[in-house]
Amino acid sequence: MNIVVLVKQVPDTATERKLSAADSTLDRASADGVINELDEYAIEEGLRLKEAHGGEVTILTMGPDQASDSIRKALSMGADKAVHLVDDALHGSDAVQTSYALAQVLKKIGFDLAVLGSESTDARTGVLAAALAERLGVPQLSLASKVEIDGSTVRIQRITDYGYDRVEGSLPAVLSVVEKINEPRYPSFKGIMAAKKKPVEKLSLADAGIDPALVGLAGATTQVVDFADAPPREAGTVVKDEGDGGAKLAEFLAAKKFV
Amino acid sequence: MSFVESEERRALRESVAALGAKYGHEYYVRKARAGEETTELWAGAGELGFLSVNLPERYGGGGGGIGDLAAVLEELAAAGSPLLMLVVSPAICGSIIARFGTEAQREYWLRRFADGSAKMAFAITEPDAGSNAHRLTTIGRRDGGGWVLNGRKVFISAVEEADAVMVVGRTADAATGRLRPSLFIVPTDAPGFSRTPIAMEIVSPERQSMLYFDDVRLPGDALVGDEDAGLLQLFTGLNPERIMAAAFATGIARYALDRAVAYAKDRQVWDVPIGAHQGLAHPLARIKIELEQARLMSQKAAWLYDAGDDAAAGEAANMAKYAAAEVAAAAVDQAVQTLGGNGLTTEYGLGTLVGAVRLSRIAPVSREMILNYVAQHSLGLPRSY
Repeated sequence: MNIVVLVKQVPDTATERKLSAADSTLDRASADGVINELDEYAIEEGLRLKEAHGGEVTILTMGPDQASDSIRKALSMGADKAVHLVDDALHGSDAVQTSYALAQVLKKIGFDLAVLGSESTDARTGVLAAALAERLGVPQLSLASKVEIDGSTVRIQRITDYGYDRVEGSLPAVLSVVEKINEPRYPSFKGIMAAKKKPVEKLSLADAGIDPALVGLAGATTQVVDFADAPPREAGTVVKDEGDGGAKLAEFLAAKKFV
Repeated sequence: MSFVESEERRALRESVAALGAKYGHEYYVRKARAGEETTELWAGAGELGFLSVNLPERYGGGGGGIGDLAAVLEELAAAGSPLLMLVVSPAICGSIIARFGTEAQREYWLRRFADGSAKMAFAITEPDAGSNAHRLTTIGRRDGGGWVLNGRKVFISAVEEADAVMVVGRTADAATGRLRPSLFIVPTDAPGFSRTPIAMEIVSPERQSMLYFDDVRLPGDALVGDEDAGLLQLFTGLNPERIMAAAFATGIARYALDRAVAYAKDRQVWDVPIGAHQGLAHPLARIKIELEQARLMSQKAAWLYDAGDDAAAGEAANMAKYAAAEVAAAAVDQAVQTLGGNGLTTEYGLGTLVGAVRLSRIAPVSREMILNYVAQHSLGLPRSY
């Protein structure tokens, strides 16, 4: 089975993240880049499916040069090879444009199953899986907490507010996963040493057959008009117990919809 | 020459740190207090090949160097959960067996070290000889094709979790004259071998023991290397030991410094965080400098050892171990001071390290023995004993 895992490099959530004042895009220089957390679960699931069904796991990343660190880590976890779509003209692309660019690459390299995290910790649009499936004309199986593949049928448990739905579709397909699905492995020493020798193919827009007019900040379908720092946290509410402390606490929690 | 570690070494550190973070200091303390071994962490590290990064690939190891193994231990210690047995089993015993063992010994032991299924302790210190390896009185006598071993050892680490002990003794023929250390592998279930735990005031999952060898019969192949190969065999194990002891100590120093700095940034008295006061900031800055110096010296020692320069590695490993132990003790002490009363609470996880870092100035080689070594070998001063 030809499994492609889409991996996005995002700024480390443990550090302070900023937008650049010049063009309101992400300031990548101000924070360390790491693999988007949910994509680590996607990598793990891709590796498990390969271990169970055979085939190959390819990492697909769209991002600037420094995203190669994240590609290397994905390879050290056990993926076989990687494709890195890297081109200055991609800078500032929004979710709609990104889905176009990645769909073009997926068409070019081919896939049975494209796996990705259900959202990224930076933009958090959570629409990429749906957009990719639409552009590629294949089923989308989203928010999977469990996956089974039987021949050309994919069955998942799709998490919902009330529990989960059982959903099935046929290959080729796009699969998005949630963190309940597995526990991502740590790179082993042998995996780390082997990663350096694994092939990473770099593609430009021209290589991937991407129309430059359809990507990049200038033609983005959405625009960041303005941004501001989050307001500092306000002081909490102090409930003084005058015999009715319990009731007041319950009232507070009810007002915040916790109970 | 480069002062930046390779991409692979940095990736190894990142992966080990992630594993270490999953366990952390609470796990370590819980195991120590319950008298249990850190089995889960050892097994987890073994599955990822971290326990044998330095051993040859032919026997299932990672094919890296002692610098890689030191990185593993430093990252685990920095996460608050060091594995002391890394100093002994793959570093001392693994290095000696890889270099001087027979093919059968390598096949048997290195494979088991590599998959984490066996551990070997190391016994050199004796009650009457202390750290003076020239006065060892544990003697192996030839008995047909085998050996009979008699003697005592003290302050031997983690024998309770070991399958065998590599014992530094001398053969009966060499009982007088210049020391010709011989190395014997003694299974921990050998008749005549016994062990008494030494009660210690240190929070550590690994115990200290007194060992007794009372007419312990060993087969001929219990001997590792040549019976009179001299000190080279021994120092093939002791240089890695010092490099690993340094990694243990710099890792603990990082752990303590991280906690002190986090607290100093967060804790606010009157109108500013306490870290804004130079009385607390400067001592932490000084520790950061001394820590980076110790780490640099440790990396140099590991580099020299992995490059095969045993003589230069010996001097550097001693200096690294000295510097690392000093900064570890200073870091824990200053971290406790930074946290005040909280520094000795169970919650903040620093008080548990006071004994451990005090020990690092004594073992595996004391501060004074290193100063003797540097005085005599590096400076050419007259020997003192």
